[in-house]
Amino acid sequence: MYQVNRRQAMLAMGAFVVLAGCGDDGAKKKTDDFSANRTGAMTDYGPGKQFKATAPLSFTVLYNNHPFYPMKKDWLFWSELGKRTNVTIQPSVVPLSDYENKRSLVIGAGDAPPIIPKTYPAQETPFVASGAILPVSEYLDLMPNFTDKIARWNLKGDVDTLRQADGRFYLLPGLHQDYWVDYSLAIRTDVLDKLGLAIPETWDDLHTVLKAMKQEYPDSYPMSDRWGVPTPGGSLLNVMGLAYGAPGGWGYRNGVIWDDTTQKFVFTGASEPYKQMLQYLGTLVKEKLLDPESFTQTDDLAIQKLVSGKSFVISSNAQSLVNEYRPPLAKANPKATLVKIPVPVGPLGPVKAGHHITRLENGVMISKKARDSKDFVAMMQFIDWLWYSDAGEEFAKWGVEGVTYTKDGPGAYKPAPDVDIVGLNPKAPKHLQKDFGFANGVFAYGGTTELLESTFSDEEKAFQKVMNARKALPVEPPHPLTDEEREQATLWETPLKDHVTQNTLKFILGKRDFGDWDAYVKELEGMNMPAYLGLVNGAYERYKKQHG
Amino acid sequence: MVTVDRGRGHRVFQWVNGVILTGVVIVTLYPFVNIVARSLSDENAIRSGQVNLIPRGFTFTTYEYVVSDPTFWTNYRNTVVYTVVATLIAMFLTTCYAYVLSKKDLKGRTFLIGIAVFTMFFSGGLIPNYVLITSLGMKDAIWAIVLPNAVNVFNLLIMKTFFEGLPAELEEAAAIDGMSTYGILLRIVLPLSKAVIATMLLFYAVAFWNSWFAAFLYMSQTDLFPVTIFLRNLIAGATGASSVGADAMDLTVAANIKSVTMVLTILPILGIYPFVQRYFITGVMLGAVKG
Repeated sequence: MYQVNRRQAMLAMGAFVVLAGCGDDGAKKKTDDFSANRTGAMTDYGPGKQFKATAPLSFTVLYNNHPFYPMKKDWLFWSELGKRTNVTIQPSVVPLSDYENKRSLVIGAGDAPPIIPKTYPAQETPFVASGAILPVSEYLDLMPNFTDKIARWNLKGDVDTLRQADGRFYLLPGLHQDYWVDYSLAIRTDVLDKLGLAIPETWDDLHTVLKAMKQEYPDSYPMSDRWGVPTPGGSLLNVMGLAYGAPGGWGYRNGVIWDDTTQKFVFTGASEPYKQMLQYLGTLVKEKLLDPESFTQTDDLAIQKLVSGKSFVISSNAQSLVNEYRPPLAKANPKATLVKIPVPVGPLGPVKAGHHITRLENGVMISKKARDSKDFVAMMQFIDWLWYSDAGEEFAKWGVEGVTYTKDGPGAYKPAPDVDIVGLNPKAPKHLQKDFGFANGVFAYGGTTELLESTFSDEEKAFQKVMNARKALPVEPPHPLTDEEREQATLWETPLKDHVTQNTLKFILGKRDFGDWDAYVKELEGMNMPAYLGLVNGAYERYKKQHG
Repeated sequence: MVTVDRGRGHRVFQWVNGVILTGVVIVTLYPFVNIVARSLSDENAIRSGQVNLIPRGFTFTTYEYVVSDPTFWTNYRNTVVYTVVATLIAMFLTTCYAYVLSKKDLKGRTFLIGIAVFTMFFSGGLIPNYVLITSLGMKDAIWAIVLPNAVNVFNLLIMKTFFEGLPAELEEAAAIDGMSTYGILLRIVLPLSKAVIATMLLFYAVAFWNSWFAAFLYMSQTDLFPVTIFLRNLIAGATGASSVGADAMDLTVAANIKSVTMVLTILPILGIYPFVQRYFITGVMLGAVKG
């Protein structure tokens, strides 16, 4: 039987995306001529205005089906949306498990629906060359709420990071009012109390705390971490990288980070801060404070160690704290208390966001074909309303006032008594996501801090308050590569990344001595690190000259 | 003396055999029993790593939860329908093709074998296939799943070899008695080929039951998905925490829900296997003896 495995699938898609580059880009229309595309559009649409199509419209949306709230056709979301906007959404349902593959496939085959949400920044880049997606930056006049938020929240620098070498961007990102830090460490506060210690505020404090824990429980590794598969140290190196200014793990990305003093991009894995971070972790491992398995074990195993009292510190976000750690811990040890602590402070001082962090969230791509449809203007207005207006964001997240939620004053949202969301009404018979279709990851994200925090528990709000008071470093400048450069960069990037990952582990686990650091940097240089940096910095200079 | 020696050797062989095969059985059975135990356990017990072979915090609630999900049953029904229809089509086409190919005096036989074998090594690629199926209007229809994979060349060759092994004299005798070609196929050849037919049925049915990729490519409505996609999505939802900055409101699916869905999904195959197995063993040996 003819079967395709995933690798073949990816290869085929890749090949097609490259081929499709030779598509029909020649017959370019004037971008601002909308005379044939105004069906259903409002003439007086503006920020703060309710969008309602003047004729009934229907748009197909690539729909990422989340297994926790599988799509239902009778959701209040669909019917109420129709009532408010005169728009019907036709979802083309794709299971979350393979959303990215299917998205590549339908775009590659020229069969993509006009609206393609749930696309994270940089995921749109492979499709740019194919000409299959719309350079949305050319059509922002149609999106008053989007532009209004960028101006009011000072997001220009953030959005500029999306720009491609042609100076345009191809993704409508989700917008956050403020930075949002979710991942940090969770720590057993009852153990701290027993040892008479305070919650660690810096990474050095954490070292002291772990040492004290080790003294009390010599047989344990006080810290055993998760989120090491498939990216070793995914969360830990990311969170620490923020404090040191050298993001690893999930934050590693292309391996470069902006350096303010030299006004250049430097290679993260060879930088001094990165070395310091590894030295810190290396010390923890050497003193048997950090479980060496932290970087390779499964999440379940790490959680089991925490629950059974073999470890006391673990990486955490708000949800895993409440859903994955506390319930089994309460059962195994009713006296145990576990708290997510504000991210410990490192050499950079109290920061909530490094140069590499933006306030952008996943967003929407628009299929190029949509530009020629009769209702293009109305579609852009609709997207602007649903994803970017205050009213649209509130609707997508909370639903209908009086039915699914009540609100007393700004930000004081409460689910209706018979509706549950993130455990706010645990006994309620209905669920805001499962039974009504609101707070759906496809439509509801970003927005004001008020809205974001409206589903947070009090302790999480306290965490956010501490984090929000910290400073954010300015967003790194755009440095888009051309197609040929990107191809070249990928060839260099992959071996570099592998080498950094391998040696990061070797240094941390003590398999390689830090006296070897210079030799390691030499190895990176032998793998074209300087040429790669030259490419990135060249792209930065070029962009600054042409568009800056 | 010789017989005694051989007997002793044989006993040792039996012993070693037994030990190794017991090992294989344990390795195969362990994950299976573990999944069953998890499906009957309390979520917190699974999280804290207590569940191994015996369920802890015994509960049926998860089964009730999954069984009460209408999507699960719609998708389950789809799997049954797709499997039955696809297997029937595949059996019909494969049998006809293989029987024709087994006739050595057929003109263009090498060419017919050639085009079949060609597809074992080369395919149009994913996107051309997608474009083809889409422009044939088969998207969001059962045909997109049951037609493109209808003839499996490997199965075709096994069947051809089996037909070639049947004594030609039987067919000649039937022909002399005045039977038509179709009569020979239906009344003489097929009744003698029960072993290979059962094997092919099993091969095809299991493959179609487990397949998800075609449905993932060509289906865009939840109520058209087979249960394999439902299951795959559940598992992804339970392990998808790695996307940084993912929505804080997206919860993961409980570990025991995964296990329950797995158990329910493999049950039918598990129920059928032992009964078809004896044909299966004879059938699978075919290709080995004669090439």
